[in-house]
Amino acid sequence: MSKNPYVILGVKENATQEEIKKAYRGLAKKHHPDLNPGNKQNEAKFKEISHAYDQIGTPEARAKFDRGETDENAFNQGRQNKEWSSYYNTQQNSGRYSQSFADSFGDEDLFEQIFGRSRSGKGSRTRSHVNEDIHYQMDISFRESILGAEKVITLANGKNLSIKIPAGIEDGKKLRFKGQGNQEYADAPAGDAYIQINVQEQNGWTRKGDDVEMELPVSFFEAVLGAEVSVPTLHGQVMLKIPSGVSTGTKMRIKGKGVLTEGRQGNQIVHLKVMTPKNPDHELMEELRKLQQRFAYNPRESNADAQSRGPFGGAP
Amino acid sequence: MKTITTFHLLEVARNCGVDQNVIRQFIQEQWIVPYDKNQMQLDEEDVERIKLITELQDLGVNDEAVPIILHLIDQLNLYHQGLRH
Repeated sequence: MSKNPYVILGVKENATQEEIKKAYRGLAKKHHPDLNPGNKQNEAKFKEISHAYDQIGTPEARAKFDRGETDENAFNQGRQNKEWSSYYNTQQNSGRYSQSFADSFGDEDLFEQIFGRSRSGKGSRTRSHVNEDIHYQMDISFRESILGAEKVITLANGKNLSIKIPAGIEDGKKLRFKGQGNQEYADAPAGDAYIQINVQEQNGWTRKGDDVEMELPVSFFEAVLGAEVSVPTLHGQVMLKIPSGVSTGTKMRIKGKGVLTEGRQGNQIVHLKVMTPKNPDHELMEELRKLQQRFAYNPRESNADAQSRGPFGGAP
Repeated sequence: MKTITTFHLLEVARNCGVDQNVIRQFIQEQWIVPYDKNQMQLDEEDVERIKLITELQDLGVNDEAVPIILHLIDQLNLYHQGLRH
């Protein structure tokens, strides 16, 4: 690689960076192997152009080059690494990307679009048959419905289809996969596959819009005194600070722990539920009786709240 | 059966001279769908596609146009395959 990058890009040695960039862009568009597929000469030419641009495309690199410090390593380690071929080459033997494209759009359809007839060569556009759509059902967990998931299902024709379930999908929603349905008749476009999503229930959890709701048991000590407790969310455990003086039914919001996608930010709503001990200890009962004598209050009276605030020292 | 060599995202970032967060952004945008997303293992196709995207960006293609061009290139490659078969 001893060719002069200025010559390769066709610019003068005193050209501005802007001129160099413009020259590079013009040549690269013309010779990029993916924009001009199938021409081996383009590939070599494009590598040469890229390398030239690496050498003088930025003021730093250019200064180095002009001082005579050619940096051949950049060519070997940089983006134009020779060991890896071009994207075009990777797609020529059923590349994943072009193939997934074919799978999701149905390559038969594409050929019909371009050539006006099916690849089977029958040449006729009149169709006497219709390939039917196939309907599938898929169960996903509550968690997957909120967070999204990737699943692989095996279609009736034995083909595997990987499907991406978007975060926040609603129960009963259908996903459509064009051309993955019935293919009985070669002279008609393949039917589509529809996958209906069934969201399984998760005990104690419900969904409201983009929010998820759940019940959190707290002890009466925690309810009265306040506490910091670990709470499960669909995005992992978080610490929740419970203020003093909460009751059963008090709702708390944990921000951003519901459906979370670009443009959607659901929360987790925690419904507190005060749980008393099932078999209270004798000593505990004694102590509580003493406390009751000192601090009794009647929550059924309208001003009970004001009374309870005193001894327990906190607003609900 | 062709054997597939995969590379970890960090290795690819180093080798391609592209910041790992840029690659993560490509994955986020679904321009790149890694060979193994859980292990962040990329195969040759992924690597070439990353290089293609950065080259397109060098050409002045903006983020809105990248997926459109990738889509057209995939379509073109598919036709090429179809024509040869």
